[in-house]
Amino acid sequence: MAETEMEYRVELFNRLAQTCFNKCVDKRYKESELNMGENSCIDRCVSKYWQVNSMIGQMLSAGGRPPM
Amino acid sequence: MDKNMLAGLEGLPEEDKARMSSMIDHLQLRDSLRMYNSLVERCFNDCVDNFTRKALQKQEETCVMRCAEKFLKHSMRVGLRFAELNSQAATQD
Repeated sequence: MAETEMEYRVELFNRLAQTCFNKCVDKRYKESELNMGENSCIDRCVSKYWQVNSMIGQMLSAGGRPPM
Repeated sequence: MDKNMLAGLEGLPEEDKARMSSMIDHLQLRDSLRMYNSLVERCFNDCVDNFTRKALQKQEETCVMRCAEKFLKHSMRVGLRFAELNSQAATQD
């Protein structure tokens, strides 16, 4: 069970990292550093993703199965 | 991803700790390989569009290096925030 939990956490981290990179980082790669705007965006993105993750977790555990 | 992200091992008995620790190592290896693959795919997709030559062009090389460095820095930052939120959530429970 703990193994499933760990795998879930790893998966969560990976999806979170991918998603926030897509949303926040300019793909033209003008430089290798993250600029201030990107840094703020990343922090906020992680925070929001986390909130969405909690919301859905709560919905699923309260309602049981999601409606098909 | 590092072991700080999976805090909460302190209270466990020794043999469980050892088992969890080796599980974490295994997951970290798998995760590193996955990260390697997805990084290559991402930076290739974002940086390489020209197939008139076999060799990578200079600007493609530069783009790929920047892309990889940037993603790794991004990933570290996300890791920090993730650990913060994780520990907040743990104390709330």
